[in-house]
Amino acid sequence: MTAAPIVSLRGLAFAHPGDAAGRPVLAGLDLELPRGGFTAVVGPSGVGKSTLLRVIAGLARPAAGSVVLHTTPAADRRAVALVFQDARLLPWRRVAGNVAFGLEGLRLDAAARRARAAAALDLVGLAGQASRFPAQLSGGQRQRVGLARALAVRPDLLLMDEPFSALDAITRHLLQDELIRVWRESGASVLFVTHDLDEAAYLADRVLLLSGSPARVVRDMTVGLRRPRARAGLGETVAALRAALAETFSEGAGI
Amino acid sequence: MKRSRWASAAGLAAFLGVWETSVRVGLLPAAFVPAPSQVPAAFLSELRNGEWPAAVLASLTHYLAGVAAGSALGIAAGVAVALSPGFAASQAWVARLLRPIPPLAWIPFALIWFGPSQMAAGFIIGIGVFWLNYFAAEAAVRAIDPGLFELAAAFGQGGAWRRLTAVVLPAASPGILAGVRAGLGQGWMAVVAAELFGIPGIGQRMNEAAGLLATDILVLYMLTIALLYGITDFAFERVSRRLLVWTRA
Repeated sequence: MTAAPIVSLRGLAFAHPGDAAGRPVLAGLDLELPRGGFTAVVGPSGVGKSTLLRVIAGLARPAAGSVVLHTTPAADRRAVALVFQDARLLPWRRVAGNVAFGLEGLRLDAAARRARAAAALDLVGLAGQASRFPAQLSGGQRQRVGLARALAVRPDLLLMDEPFSALDAITRHLLQDELIRVWRESGASVLFVTHDLDEAAYLADRVLLLSGSPARVVRDMTVGLRRPRARAGLGETVAALRAALAETFSEGAGI
Repeated sequence: MKRSRWASAAGLAAFLGVWETSVRVGLLPAAFVPAPSQVPAAFLSELRNGEWPAAVLASLTHYLAGVAAGSALGIAAGVAVALSPGFAASQAWVARLLRPIPPLAWIPFALIWFGPSQMAAGFIIGIGVFWLNYFAAEAAVRAIDPGLFELAAAFGQGGAWRRLTAVVLPAASPGILAGVRAGLGQGWMAVVAAELFGIPGIGQRMNEAAGLLATDILVLYMLTIALLYGITDFAFERVSRRLLVWTRA
């Protein structure tokens, strides 16, 4: 846990450019994520969890402060990859084409792209679906394609924005287990946003509770449970998270 | 499916039957309306004297050139308007000024500028086609889910060219192709109108036939236009079905 960080946030602040009042969503955020770790971010909806991901991904420009990625640039991989809540596949591309999308911005020839896309599909268990269109997939399969697309670029940091929240419970549990397996195989660091405390406790080494306006990290909890974890054994961790969340509400820090 | 095809064939046969009978029994004056049975003979004579192939070739040439140029420019302008607020604003009043002018109102200018030539006909055809494609493309691009642009940026495809080719054009292709198809139909209307003003082609040949009251030849060329439109529309529909296979997935 004290290994070199994968990303450092220093004095990070963000306000939506469209907000005339300039009220910051995030302000004075200092944070380091450990390399190879699995960090979950929980917090009330609208607190700025997704915004945090978008700023780290470089999709939104911080108002102040910095995001420093401690990665070695390479032409055949991306430092950061994003998995969206709504899968966000290109409906005109077949599954293989969707997985290859991020590879098209890298220095890879067509054969290497195909091989990388096929390997990523294999990793998420969709090798047999390569030539189908997104509309022909279930919600869980679409999320797997979104995950494969992110894994294909071999990111150092995998940012996941409530990727399983729209799925039914059985599919969600299945994909959580697959994510853990894939995370361990890929060696990537994961920052996982969720509003589901059980999910955070089941998946993460560390849970950050984001609350307030502007949002700050009000709790930074280490989840010491051994892996593989049993869902039945999460009670204490979830209870602690719930208590922390309730406390921030009673402090009037968030909504 | 089979049943409806039989019904369609029966309807067409009934239409031709009533028409033929009306002319034969004198319900319609034979001098003004030819019987459908006269048309094949008219076709053979027009084929033998070379008028039919020459007229069809001339019309097809400026039709295809006008539709291609009008579609390409219309799509380019529509996409640019939807993507660039600056460009949209700069051309908004020009578009509002030019848009209501019907393509046929450009015929005098086309003749002054280009003479009674293929170029003039292509220009007139292209104008109508341009606006159809312009509005279809603009609407199609504006309807693209902004999340797809975010996706492109997140995966290093946020540059203007990659965004255009990897996101904008495929995402907007159903709307763009619908515009092109509407233009294919609109184009034939302009073809005949332009040719009535002396540009060589089907319309010019119809004008000559009208002067001679050769109504069988008139009907022959009307059917020719219907056939050419049918072929181009069918061919285009085939191509776009293939391109848009994902919309039916």
